[in-house]
Amino acid sequence: MGQLIINGLGTGLIIALPAMALSLTFGILRFPNFAIGAMLTMAAYMAWSFNTILGMSLILAAALTILLFPLVALICDRTVFKPLRTRGPVTLLVASMGLSFVLENICRLFYGNDARSFDIPLARPYRVMGLRINYELLVTAGVSISAMAMVYVILQHTSLGRAMRAVADNPNLAAARGIDAGWVIGATWCLSGMLIAASGVLIGMDRAIDPQLGWNYIIVCFAAAILGGLGSPVGAVIGALTLGIVGELATLIVDPNYRSAIAFLVVALVLLVRPTGLLGRREIVK
Amino acid sequence: MIGYLTTIMTLVSIAVLIAMALNVQWGMCGMVNFGLSGFVALGAYTTAILMLNGTGVFMAVAAAIVICSVMGALLSLISLRLSDDYLAIVTLGFGEVIRLITLNEDWLTGGALGLPGIPRPLVDYIGTDHYEKFYLAVCVLVVLLIFIGLELATRAPFGRALRAIRDDEVVAASLGKNVLLMRVKAFAIGGGITGIAGSLQAFQFSYIDPSQFSAIMTVYAFMAVIAGGRGSHSGLILGACSIMVLLEATRFLKDVVNILDNSQIAAIRLILIGGGLILLLIYRPQGLIREYRATAPAAPKNVPHDRKE
Repeated sequence: MGQLIINGLGTGLIIALPAMALSLTFGILRFPNFAIGAMLTMAAYMAWSFNTILGMSLILAAALTILLFPLVALICDRTVFKPLRTRGPVTLLVASMGLSFVLENICRLFYGNDARSFDIPLARPYRVMGLRINYELLVTAGVSISAMAMVYVILQHTSLGRAMRAVADNPNLAAARGIDAGWVIGATWCLSGMLIAASGVLIGMDRAIDPQLGWNYIIVCFAAAILGGLGSPVGAVIGALTLGIVGELATLIVDPNYRSAIAFLVVALVLLVRPTGLLGRREIVK
Repeated sequence: MIGYLTTIMTLVSIAVLIAMALNVQWGMCGMVNFGLSGFVALGAYTTAILMLNGTGVFMAVAAAIVICSVMGALLSLISLRLSDDYLAIVTLGFGEVIRLITLNEDWLTGGALGLPGIPRPLVDYIGTDHYEKFYLAVCVLVVLLIFIGLELATRAPFGRALRAIRDDEVVAASLGKNVLLMRVKAFAIGGGITGIAGSLQAFQFSYIDPSQFSAIMTVYAFMAVIAGGRGSHSGLILGACSIMVLLEATRFLKDVVNILDNSQIAAIRLILIGGGLILLLIYRPQGLIREYRATAPAAPKNVPHDRKE
């Protein structure tokens, strides 16, 4: 039981980052980005190339990926989402599905279908009070918690964060106050790109890297973001941790293969009872 | 070559059916369905399992239609009280649940190996020699019937009300339309059509497995609908056919370019599908053929304008 909760926390901390990224872009651009799964895959492959092909240490490879991946996110935004920005959320959503196909298969084109893994030494798990805690879990916790803290500080205590919250709250009012929406959108993509890159590396450490990597996380990510209330980064973290633990505990009664089905069921139930998610606000529709 | 063409055309007809289902849900009523492949799988497995247990063809297909449309109604009912974003994720999740069930419940679905030996309807009368052509004719007939049905529905008050809801649900509601009920109905109709498509798919190879129902099916349907022009059923048929021709043409890339292996060719095809979808959205959102609109009669021409004199 305790072991399951620890494993669940580990999974939750990994999902929390892309769920936060999803919430951030949703808050500013008002559409759910379905390409987030393929972006995770691409980030994992990017780090893998630095790590094994160029022979860098994983820390250096991860840092470089986190620095470079925002560029990928920005390119995606400029080429795909920017021309469609005025067309409404459903068009953007469909476009993000198309983008997800393109990104996933670019990975497949260059790296093939074989599973890869990072070049890291296997470490013995630590034992604390009879519970197994492995090295990857500690790294995940460290990276994930510092990323969350970073996002929180940026949102709450910088002028960029204020601008982002203002645009998320009311784009017209923000524009009237002279906030440059293009700049805020760019910054949001950079920030989510960094979050996606970090979690891509963490997922790659947790399991093998293959073109389907992100696809396995997309439903859980969305579930976490919806559970916490789309558009609320703090909610996304809470949603991710809840789902991680629930998913792990559910394996006591259900086949582990059905983990993403459980995430989906939890979301369906939450939507029935509390349509705005745990921390979401009810939107005023004009 | 005739055999190859027959198979391709049968597959195109099934793809057209799936795209038509999406056209009712998304094209006419603005509701996204990312779980299309799950719906088709549900229909196919329902038909296959019933057929393997000795049910008649009619019952097996009818059951697929009923189950898929009830499922569509339920899913839309859960999420439509909210916004479109939730419908997208709920349908995607539904597709994933169906995929997991088909992969893991070996006792029911045969797992990854699938279900072989699904009896094909009327095979004793037609004989195996000409069965492929007969089956193509059946598929085309089904497409034609559903096409006519949808064209009639589009021109009927029902179709107009659906498009009114798509374009502005507040206005539609204030004109006394029951928005939720109409949307659930549209989703259920779409679901029923995917059920038929699933049945046809099950009979086509007389064998189904989970890999036949991948997300490509869904993206392909979106492409066909966008290429043809959202809401236009005839445009959609044109769109689905032209996309299929383009995609089939990439199969021959292999003969021209020797450096790529099969999985790379497959990847390029999928990049083309995804990229094509985005390009269509950006550059040709209205599609090849505009949807049907009731237009007011043109103003009489011979009325003299005051200014001209």
